Amino acid sequence: MTTATDSTRTIVTGSKTGTPPRRAGARNREQLISWAFLAPFLVAFVLFLAWPIVHGIILSFTDQSLTGAGGAFVGFANYVEALGDPKMWQSMGNTVWFTLLSTVPLVVIALVMAALVDRGIPGQWLWRLSFFMPFLLASTVISQIWVWIFNPQVGAANNILEFFGLEPLAWLQNPDTNMLSIVIATVWWTVGFNFLLYLAAMQNIPPQQYEAASLDGAGAWRQFWSITLPQLGPATVLILILQILASLKLFDQAYQMLGGVASDTTRSIVQYIYEAGFVSYRFGYSAAISYVFFALIVILGVVQALITRRRKEQF
Amino acid sequence: MTPPLDLSRRQFLTAASVAAGTALLAGCAPGAVPGSGTQTLQFWHLLSGGDGVTMSQLLDDVNGAQSAFRIRPTVLAWGTPYYTKLAMAGAGGRAPDVAIMHATRTVGWAPGGLLDRWDVDKLASLGIDSSTFPKPIWEKGFVGEGMYSIALDAHPFVMMFNTDICDAAGVLDSDGKLQETSSPEEFLDQLREVGGQAEGHALSYGYLGDGAQMWRLFYTFYSQHGGAIELPPGGPAVIDKDVAVESLSLMRTLLDGEIALAQADYGSAVAEFATGKSGMLFTGVWELRTMQAASLPFDATMIPTLFGTPAVYADSHSFVLPHQTNADPVRRDLTYQFVADMLKGSFGWAEAGHIPAFLPVTESPDYDDLIPQAHYAEAAQHVVYDPTAWFTGSGSNFQSEFGAAVQGVLLSGDDPAAAIDRFEARVNTLLRQPNPADPEGTFGS
Repeated sequence: MTTATDSTRTIVTGSKTGTPPRRAGARNREQLISWAFLAPFLVAFVLFLAWPIVHGIILSFTDQSLTGAGGAFVGFANYVEALGDPKMWQSMGNTVWFTLLSTVPLVVIALVMAALVDRGIPGQWLWRLSFFMPFLLASTVISQIWVWIFNPQVGAANNILEFFGLEPLAWLQNPDTNMLSIVIATVWWTVGFNFLLYLAAMQNIPPQQYEAASLDGAGAWRQFWSITLPQLGPATVLILILQILASLKLFDQAYQMLGGVASDTTRSIVQYIYEAGFVSYRFGYSAAISYVFFALIVILGVVQALITRRRKEQF
Repeated sequence: MTPPLDLSRRQFLTAASVAAGTALLAGCAPGAVPGSGTQTLQFWHLLSGGDGVTMSQLLDDVNGAQSAFRIRPTVLAWGTPYYTKLAMAGAGGRAPDVAIMHATRTVGWAPGGLLDRWDVDKLASLGIDSSTFPKPIWEKGFVGEGMYSIALDAHPFVMMFNTDICDAAGVLDSDGKLQETSSPEEFLDQLREVGGQAEGHALSYGYLGDGAQMWRLFYTFYSQHGGAIELPPGGPAVIDKDVAVESLSLMRTLLDGEIALAQADYGSAVAEFATGKSGMLFTGVWELRTMQAASLPFDATMIPTLFGTPAVYADSHSFVLPHQTNADPVRRDLTYQFVADMLKGSFGWAEAGHIPAFLPVTESPDYDDLIPQAHYAEAAQHVVYDPTAWFTGSGSNFQSEFGAAVQGVLLSGDDPAAAIDRFEARVNTLLRQPNPADPEGTFGS
């Protein structure tokens, strides 16, 4: 560290004390080369991120249709309609509800799974593999699996209920249980990723701390509460942020498990954006809703940044 | 002796790229098959499974019977994906020469210029006119004054019944047909008789999570009262609430757990009937092949007229001309020829269960021998399509909106009147929106 600072200082001093400046041509050449290296990224960035964002904003102020018709400037009409659209708010509410329902088990179960594996139960590779494997499956595959499991007549879920003497449920079709069904499937599908992050974080904790603790007479629980959990703080913040963002993007598994049929209790905001654009052909309106959703994510991001800043200040 | 090729690496790569590019462009180019006068016509459709196999056979027949054109079909997944892609192709003006659409969807598309008109005179010169179609099916081809679709078939909602179970229940006539019932009470009595003989339920009807299934039965019962739901642009919807409540209440009565399973989805209802466990099944004619493959003793008939007027929900697979900016007149003529050939050869389509729209086919003696298709052929005269609006039709959101509004009635016994109010409110919201394919409302002006 010191060396690097020193050498920087040397260069700066050197230039001040009359070291001959490099030729302008060489500097230009260097700049050209750096731009050439940057160019592929810049092209991709402008084409696939910057322009779509700008184009989306422009679209949201028009009545552009997917069919090529329309396109007239309508001012804030789409935004006004979106803010007064009960279905948009319902979809937004469903998305937030799903995020709340799924994030807690996805963090807690991942933590428990990682703790079990980290404590050295036999056959670690098998646990690691089986916990992470579902995450590798495509959403279409997991949707199909869980549609079978939740089938009201022949599905395993109702077999289990019947085994315990409970009434069978129309899991995916009943508005009272369909969101829960999607949460269960999603937890099974994606918990492996959080598990892996937690496991990596746990394995970074120096074993000496545990040794010292056990010499001091701390049992497994005390070690977990006093050593493991506190040191997982940064990992937990990261997992929470990633998880909230992932859950807010709910679409594929819900759409596929319900056969693309809109349900008032499971329609996520992303599905509503899709329906407005690709089923009802209202591109302008669809763009407007996506920017309302974007605004919600920005607000969440700001809140999260404020919270983490406060946490850092506390430490 | 051929001299050895003396090419540098760069020359070789250049030559190879040019050759590949040329081949690629030639492959993309529509039009004539090289070395012959045969034109290749692009045809998009959404028929898969058994229907897809039958369609392939029909296309092979049409291709083999002449050398002026060859049809190159593209099959896309049915529903939103199909309609999105077809709409975008039409919007770009470089659409396929001809495509299949549900007749009910053309109303939303024609005003946006996504479809080109059929020339009625040219069709007539090929033997296709109003006299060769059942009236409601021919009329469904029109949007305003123009003809935008021409039906290959009608695929109504029908009732299949297990002949062994129904025979044992004593509800068959001497000629093996189901005894007629003309009121909900009579029909319920008949079902209870059948239920006594069935291992499972009297009736299989799957509806869970499937707005289309709920809508098909509801609108059949609704239309049997002699009126239709009307959806005038701008709204409000004209729905006879008493009729709607009565229709929905009957559906709830059927799903009492005794007559039909209270919680069944489409697949399990089809499976229950196909395995011989139930006496009757409400389904579309497209399931005919499933039951034939199950070697089931069964027959099919129109859903009984319980409220006075024979009516049955249906849609039609129809030929449309997706908009082409520079339509080639030669290829257009051949497209007309293709459609005429398909209609005239649609007997094969009847084997898949659909009722061909072309009357000379359904009125032929051969068709009478096609059992059970001939037993429900009269449904074509009583078909009722979705109410006309830009947002209705098969594969649209309208039917799932209906399902979302009324499923609670069928599943949990919610109040039917409140469900109809919810549905009406949703429809009125949609009616207030302009057709997104024609937001400025310039169609017809």
